[in-house]
Amino acid sequence: MLSRIADSLFWLARYIERAEGTARVLDVNYHMLLEQSQPSYRLRWEPLIVMAGEADRFRKLYPEVNAENVFEFLAFRPDNPSSIVQCIAKARENARTIRDCISREMWEDINGLYHMVSQFSPQDEIAAGPHRFCDRIKFGAHRFHGVTDATLPHDEGWEFLRIGWSLERAEMTARLVDVQYHNLLDGPSAADVLDNHQWMAVLRSVGAYEAYQREYHAPIEPEKVAAMLMLKPQHPHSIRFNIETVRAGLRAVSGSGPGTYANEAERLAGRVVERLSYDTVDEIFRQGLHGYLDDLLRICGSIGEDIARSYFYYAVVA
Amino acid sequence: MLQSALFEGYDPGAFYDEMFAAPGQPRPQYRKLFQKLASMAPGQFEEKRKLADLAFLIQGITFTVYSDGQGTERLFPFDLIPRILARSEWERINRGLSQRVVALNLFLQDVYGRQCIFKDRRIPRSLVYSCPQFRREMIGVEVPRGIHTHICGIDLVRDSKTGEFCVLEDNVRTPSGISYVLENRLVMTRTLPDVFRAHEVLPVDHYPAELSRILRSLSPRGEAEAQIVLLTPGIYNSAYFEHSFLARQMGIGLVEGRDLIVDGGMVYTKTIRGLKRVDVIYRRVDDEFLDPLSFRPDSFLGVPGLLAAYRAGNVALANAIGNGVADDKAIYSYVPEFIRYYLAEEPILGTVKTYLCGKAEDLAYVLDHLPELVVKPAGESGGYGMLIGPASDAKRIEEFRRCIQANPRNYIAQPVVPLSRVPSYDSEGGCMGGRHVDLRPYCLYDGEKVTIVPGGLTRVALQKNSLVVNSSQGGGSKDTWVLRGED
Repeated sequence: MLSRIADSLFWLARYIERAEGTARVLDVNYHMLLEQSQPSYRLRWEPLIVMAGEADRFRKLYPEVNAENVFEFLAFRPDNPSSIVQCIAKARENARTIRDCISREMWEDINGLYHMVSQFSPQDEIAAGPHRFCDRIKFGAHRFHGVTDATLPHDEGWEFLRIGWSLERAEMTARLVDVQYHNLLDGPSAADVLDNHQWMAVLRSVGAYEAYQREYHAPIEPEKVAAMLMLKPQHPHSIRFNIETVRAGLRAVSGSGPGTYANEAERLAGRVVERLSYDTVDEIFRQGLHGYLDDLLRICGSIGEDIARSYFYYAVVA
Repeated sequence: MLQSALFEGYDPGAFYDEMFAAPGQPRPQYRKLFQKLASMAPGQFEEKRKLADLAFLIQGITFTVYSDGQGTERLFPFDLIPRILARSEWERINRGLSQRVVALNLFLQDVYGRQCIFKDRRIPRSLVYSCPQFRREMIGVEVPRGIHTHICGIDLVRDSKTGEFCVLEDNVRTPSGISYVLENRLVMTRTLPDVFRAHEVLPVDHYPAELSRILRSLSPRGEAEAQIVLLTPGIYNSAYFEHSFLARQMGIGLVEGRDLIVDGGMVYTKTIRGLKRVDVIYRRVDDEFLDPLSFRPDSFLGVPGLLAAYRAGNVALANAIGNGVADDKAIYSYVPEFIRYYLAEEPILGTVKTYLCGKAEDLAYVLDHLPELVVKPAGESGGYGMLIGPASDAKRIEEFRRCIQANPRNYIAQPVVPLSRVPSYDSEGGCMGGRHVDLRPYCLYDGEKVTIVPGGLTRVALQKNSLVVNSSQGGGSKDTWVLRGED
């Protein structure tokens, strides 16, 4: 497989995942706030922008943090490189450069999603609220996963796709937990009920609310939510689940067996999996959740860099 | 006289109409189609047309235009009324094109080899050497199996005055459009299945397999382990869709210049598992961009050292380098002579009277008759930089006059050919109108025989009264049928 193709597959997957993740968070946050009479609007929308890593850009573009502005910024702004519309456009652009390597069904699906998204009118959608739009994006991303699973041979190319979206999803979850937790600590100590809602929203945004209830049969507690989203090996949005998938994908490409590694990316992925398998949530909170997540995010970044070094780039030979 | 709501008021006009011999009287090969469409209301037809458009959009069958500064993706408009060729007519085209392709190949072998044609004084050496597409670097290079013209897309037009097909242009560098032939057919069979089924249309989908067979046969290492790739300039190229389409259809890698590297005279792909040798390159990058060490040094689309690897015989290219000398529009007027010289045959297909501005007497005639002529730059393709005299104002004609005088060798002129027309749907008027068409069949040459998929690409000038069919200039296309039975 050409290095350029592997690179494009990896990023195609990441962009799709980023679009879906952003849509989930937007939708859930909006609906949570509908049910509240709290005036702390700014407080509740701010984390989304921080999570996207685009706080500075947002402040330059908008005078005020409110639902409409955040929705427009995260969903539609062409000058926000992480906006949903931009992510879909970039995913499609990546797919277009490798059309000969993906199935016809995959191409038609992502191309159709792109055309659908570009036909949405931001004004109409902002007026209607984010649900309709976000739902289409989530559904579109899920369908793309399904089409890919069913039509692309599960060979090397497939591995780069699943490495791409698992790594992206792990990062999205880490940022989600970090930002919400941070925000709760920093904010004025509001009523417990409110905090409860906030964490419920976090769970819902990754589709884990019902799973949480089944698992714990208990009120929503930050520690348990964090444990669920970081350590649960079965939950498809947990960090552990996703880094395990990254490790499996990397091993499938390189052929290394358990306990060995072929490159730095594999070594780091393996180490993260071990930590998340044996650390307890109490230990994590004792040493500081923020520091722990920050460290995970840094390692995720290094994994991405080393994948590029090992498989995508050729040093220029003079 | 037959009746049909869809063709009500249709006027074949003063041109040769491919469908109607006279108002309301379809030609034999069109009779069945006319009957099938007769039962259809304009509204129904409109609905079918929209379905076809949607199919193209979702499949992303687009081309890129440059004129607006940044590449913009556009749909290549598809007109649902097919162009139908009678079998006997097609057989003649087939023979005429095969003859022409073989002669062009022999000319290229000769020009870059022994140069007998100059010694026998059948074409001036100066005319060939002054061609901008002539590549000195290719002199004395023995190309694999002696093939220069693996893929040709020769443009034909039917002259309304004679009703006969003649050759308008030879495209023997990197002709595009075959993907539209194949996709048009697919969309056609899905959109109007019953109409299609009522005819016995000769299939076209063996093209990729035949091309793949020819490419494989060029491998310097034998066929079994050959790595064949298609070299594209990338997604901003107008024909990118076609490049990825053909790569997929043939199951070969689609590569860009940055995916390749030349080391020790061999070409390799950069893969996730290191370098892998390349044997055959179906290149869709023009000569001047292929190798910055030999041609344009500012090219990022090519591969440094590729020419040396090619000359050493370590990699095969299709088409060969330097083919532009054979489809130069000034050389074009000598092709009938090539056929006589190399094959000792009379040309089967006619050509259009061509004035070479490089010749003093022709230049004088051209400058005197600019408002009635078509003037083309000799080395361009894609319909760029043309003057259509009758459709141009005095200012533009004067601009061209200055260009021609500044560089006469670079221009040729031809009388305006009144192209034949085919009924095409005018979505603004909601009715059928006659629109001018040409025909580009795709010829594959394996060194022994020429294979041409029946039909080819019918390009149609969708704007009323326009004669320019190029996709870059507002043209569309039609599915082209050759019927199995005798008309």
